[in-house]
Amino acid sequence: MNNIFIDVDYAQIYKHGQKIGGDVFLLSRNPENNQIVATLSDGLGSGVKANVLASLTAHMAHKLSFSPISLEHSAEIIMDTLPVCKERKISYSTFTIADIHYNDDMENIAVNLIEYDNPASLRFSGAEDIKWDRTRTELKREGAFKKETIAQSSFKMDIGERLVMFSDGVTQSGLGKSLPLGWRLDGVRKFIKEEISANPDISSRELSRAIVQKACALDGFSSKDDITCVVVYIRRPRRTLIVTGPPFTKEADEILGEKIRNFNGKKIVSGGTTAQIVARLFGKKLKVDLSCWSPDVPPASKMEGIDLVTEGMLTLSKVVTALEKKENIADMPNDPAKKFVEILLDSDQIHIIVGTKINEAHQDPNIPFEIGIRRTIIARLRKALEENYIKETSVEYL
Amino acid sequence: MKKPKVKVRICLGTACFVQGGADLLLYNDFLEPEVLADCEIEGCSCLEQCKVGGGQAPFVEINGKIYDGVTQDVFCKLLKEAVKE
Ligand code: FES
Repeated sequence: MNNIFIDVDYAQIYKHGQKIGGDVFLLSRNPENNQIVATLSDGLGSGVKANVLASLTAHMAHKLSFSPISLEHSAEIIMDTLPVCKERKISYSTFTIADIHYNDDMENIAVNLIEYDNPASLRFSGAEDIKWDRTRTELKREGAFKKETIAQSSFKMDIGERLVMFSDGVTQSGLGKSLPLGWRLDGVRKFIKEEISANPDISSRELSRAIVQKACALDGFSSKDDITCVVVYIRRPRRTLIVTGPPFTKEADEILGEKIRNFNGKKIVSGGTTAQIVARLFGKKLKVDLSCWSPDVPPASKMEGIDLVTEGMLTLSKVVTALEKKENIADMPNDPAKKFVEILLDSDQIHIIVGTKINEAHQDPNIPFEIGIRRTIIARLRKALEENYIKETSVEYL
Repeated sequence: MKKPKVKVRICLGTACFVQGGADLLLYNDFLEPEVLADCEIEGCSCLEQCKVGGGQAPFVEINGKIYDGVTQDVFCKLLKEAVKE
């Protein structure tokens, strides 16, 4: 598994009362080419017409950035292709394209950034903002209704750096309401610095959400334009270890203990017997936490050094079902399965150690608690994490 | 001297939880407050009773003694007696 992770996510709030956005964000990960392309486009106006313009732009930009045509040339093609608005006699939509390339080992992350008429993107190393040079090219297109300038820049990104892109719904929020001139680039930059200082590891999902929510609040919670923000964050992957089932032999218990001890990341133990083994190995107490359970999922326990200790099969199947159905976390009952899912969604790489000891016969033959079932459920868990949430997973049997 | 509280452990292993243990966790709703006040109730992992055979889940341990087939009604009765002793 890689030791560097490119965390790309975005958040969006539509103009108040609109069901469709005039801002369109597209993301493709192309692992075969070691390329990630993120495109943000804002179409003229709002609603359906703007959405069509922005979608066209974003899709063209996206396609073209995968082709050998230079990005500047691509930009011209895009603008020549856009349909012209009947009333205003112009065709117009803005775009920002971040074309990200990396080596096989994820080192050397290089970004080619093309910006056209969106607010300038921002870069941060930790909470410090980075200034960099852009090359500006005037397009001089025939029939252009205004001066068209494309800004291009290339730079490397290191661990701990962020690139933040947004539509003008962000910079112009609060305009004429809470702020006479709107939030503006300086305000946004200051806010992001504060957010990162307060929470240095903030994920792209959380940071982009914080920014659009703040913008919406400045608009008095009735957004005057589509508000969209994209964050690219280069960081160490977040790892989680799931241990489920007792090891096949007693001797392997020690090995399990070592593996848990040496693991760098969040740790989940799922299964009553497994939890007892781990508690014994670590010389720690297990305490059942009666405040967190539901009729489907038994209470979790607390153990020092382990982030979450749950019952086994009932909890795991609930977790798998939620992931397969992409259930909204907020709608899940407050039980250990919910906590489990929260930890998983917050991780990039999930390693699972499956103990292969067959449980002593259960008194109720209806309770499927044997290794075959465990294998099946783990296979489903991996599939759901990989396909629905693009997580990396690995498994080992002990 | 104050009477020590009755120590109660409800088994929350998988077998017990699905066969009625979950109902017992609602003890705040069905136990009389006076009884509740004299008990110290906690959950515990598998009491190993389901593995030895004999007895029906869910299992509950009251002052060190194991009881089986504990429904809400049985639970009430057992605790009332234990508190009186
Ligand atoms: S689950 Fe209760 S005794 Fe095993």
